[in-house]
Amino acid sequence: MFSGIRVSAFLAWKSIQRGSRGTLALTIMIIALIFVNLVFLPSIISGVVVTFDTQSIDFDLGNLVIEPREGSQYIDGVDGLQKKVEQIPGITGTSPRITAGATYFYRGRNAASTLYGITPEDERSVTRIADYMTAGEFLSGGDTDAIIIGATLAGTEGVEEGGLPSLEGVGVGDSVDVAYPNGATRTYRVKGIFETQSFGVDTAAFVTTREMSRVLGLDNQASAILVKTAVNGREEEYKTEILSYGVQEDVLTFREKSGGFVEQAIQSFNIINAISTLVSLIIAIVVVFIVIFINTVNRRRQIGILKAIGIDQQIIINSYVLQVLFITAVGALVGIGLNAGVTTYLTAYPLVFPGGPVYPDVEASAILRSIGSLFGVSLVAGYIPAWRIAREDILTAIRG
Amino acid sequence: MAENLTRVYAMGNVEVRALAGVSLEVAKGEFVGIMGASGSGKSTLLHILGLLDRPTSGSVTIDGTDVLALSDHRRTLFRLNRLGYVFQDYALIGELTALENVYLTSLVRGASKDEYIERSADILRRVGLGDRMDHRQSELSGGEQQRVAIARALVNSPSILLADEPCANLDSQTSKSILDLFARLNEELDQTIVMVSHEDWHKEYFCRIVTLRDGLIGDMVECRKA
Repeated sequence: MFSGIRVSAFLAWKSIQRGSRGTLALTIMIIALIFVNLVFLPSIISGVVVTFDTQSIDFDLGNLVIEPREGSQYIDGVDGLQKKVEQIPGITGTSPRITAGATYFYRGRNAASTLYGITPEDERSVTRIADYMTAGEFLSGGDTDAIIIGATLAGTEGVEEGGLPSLEGVGVGDSVDVAYPNGATRTYRVKGIFETQSFGVDTAAFVTTREMSRVLGLDNQASAILVKTAVNGREEEYKTEILSYGVQEDVLTFREKSGGFVEQAIQSFNIINAISTLVSLIIAIVVVFIVIFINTVNRRRQIGILKAIGIDQQIIINSYVLQVLFITAVGALVGIGLNAGVTTYLTAYPLVFPGGPVYPDVEASAILRSIGSLFGVSLVAGYIPAWRIAREDILTAIRG
Repeated sequence: MAENLTRVYAMGNVEVRALAGVSLEVAKGEFVGIMGASGSGKSTLLHILGLLDRPTSGSVTIDGTDVLALSDHRRTLFRLNRLGYVFQDYALIGELTALENVYLTSLVRGASKDEYIERSADILRRVGLGDRMDHRQSELSGGEQQRVAIARALVNSPSILLADEPCANLDSQTSKSILDLFARLNEELDQTIVMVSHEDWHKEYFCRIVTLRDGLIGDMVECRKA
């Protein structure tokens, strides 16, 4: 058994070493490109998920969202609820938000978008919007006549934002009129402009809770409370924990709050990925099959001679299988190198999606899965032609 | 020992009787030449004796083993351990050097590296290729390639060396050197050799000449040796 493998390896290595270098290089390159194709799309899908999660947690929703119980428009007794939630181990911040649809007016232009009322210090403990000010400053607790605006909503002079709400050129220090849903209109000085690259956030604006409560006639009430946890990815556990503390309001993870948008997107991506993977693997099967088929047909006589001098056909088949394994292994290694290059490039120059910049997220499982499937199909595609020729009658093979 | 061998091929609707009942006994140390016209069945007989083909009927016994009763795997092992084969067109593995071609079967037998290298090099020196061991097939002349094939056939000390027109592709000078080599191996090593040939001048090398005619032994002549 061992000597058989030793002979197979010997024949395989000599064939690789002294066979056609061009064919070998071309086959390895094709396998490498198939590997890149197998890994690239899942890495982008993972990147989209990571981007969505990060953007949602950092700028839009926090890890969890507490919402008014069914039938209520607002959460009452916000201070008490905040204190209750913040005492739960692992909760690092809470930020009550009042949400209202508003229309903004600036120099004869208007745009409708979401206006949030926030407590600046609380908001800093949950989201990172304050770190993404591109001009001016974040809100302070005492601000009543100030507003901060997302970069898309602020817009650029003379540039329409492709259907997104835009005031086309609001800058820090400008005055913007805001019409509230209850008919009240206020004029605010733009204190800052932020850009998070999350389009849902960059089309919104923020004033203080103090100001918005006064306009809407609210008292210690909020449309939602965002909750930040110490660790990402354990939202379900924290949700159970919060509910166990007797919170009566609805508690949603950021994924639940997004209404399955990401799941739907991932499902669509996965269908595309499955098709792409299938096509790639079929190409791998065809390429390896053709290479080994031509190789064995050209060496039909040699295979017959090997059998005639007493080499078992399994040794001959295994020598071709080992060649395929070598080609696949080197192809996968080259593919990993190429993929690293593509990943490095896309990390430096990320793809920009509506949810934010997407960096390829190459998961070890995707690499292992790709290597495994490549080896699987290559083995089958290499074994079959070698087996077909090697089992041929000796004299028929020798006569060619 | 071959007894009453027949071999019938079906070519379309026509049956071709390549061997029609051949019985032959080859003693240890004999150099037997199988001769005959084209189509007389000499290659078929050699293929059956070499376990490369199966007869339609009859029996073949080598070293007391009924080789026709062996499974395919056992036949392969038998070829590896007991038989050496020299083909008309050398049949070397082009990607291997002369030395590698020779030690390949020893590798299959599980010999140690030192053992198979030493033995293969020794045989290559014996066939006059001591200085060509690291050359590949494309770097060797026809005669040198056939010497490598002979060395490969001998490396495992086979019971019988079977040669199918080994000089067919060689000029007369080279053919003579190959036949001299066979004769020397036969004498020095007491190597049993069965060789197919159609050249009359080869007869002087054989101990016994078996001439086939229409699938039957037409003539059997003892010559060089008693």
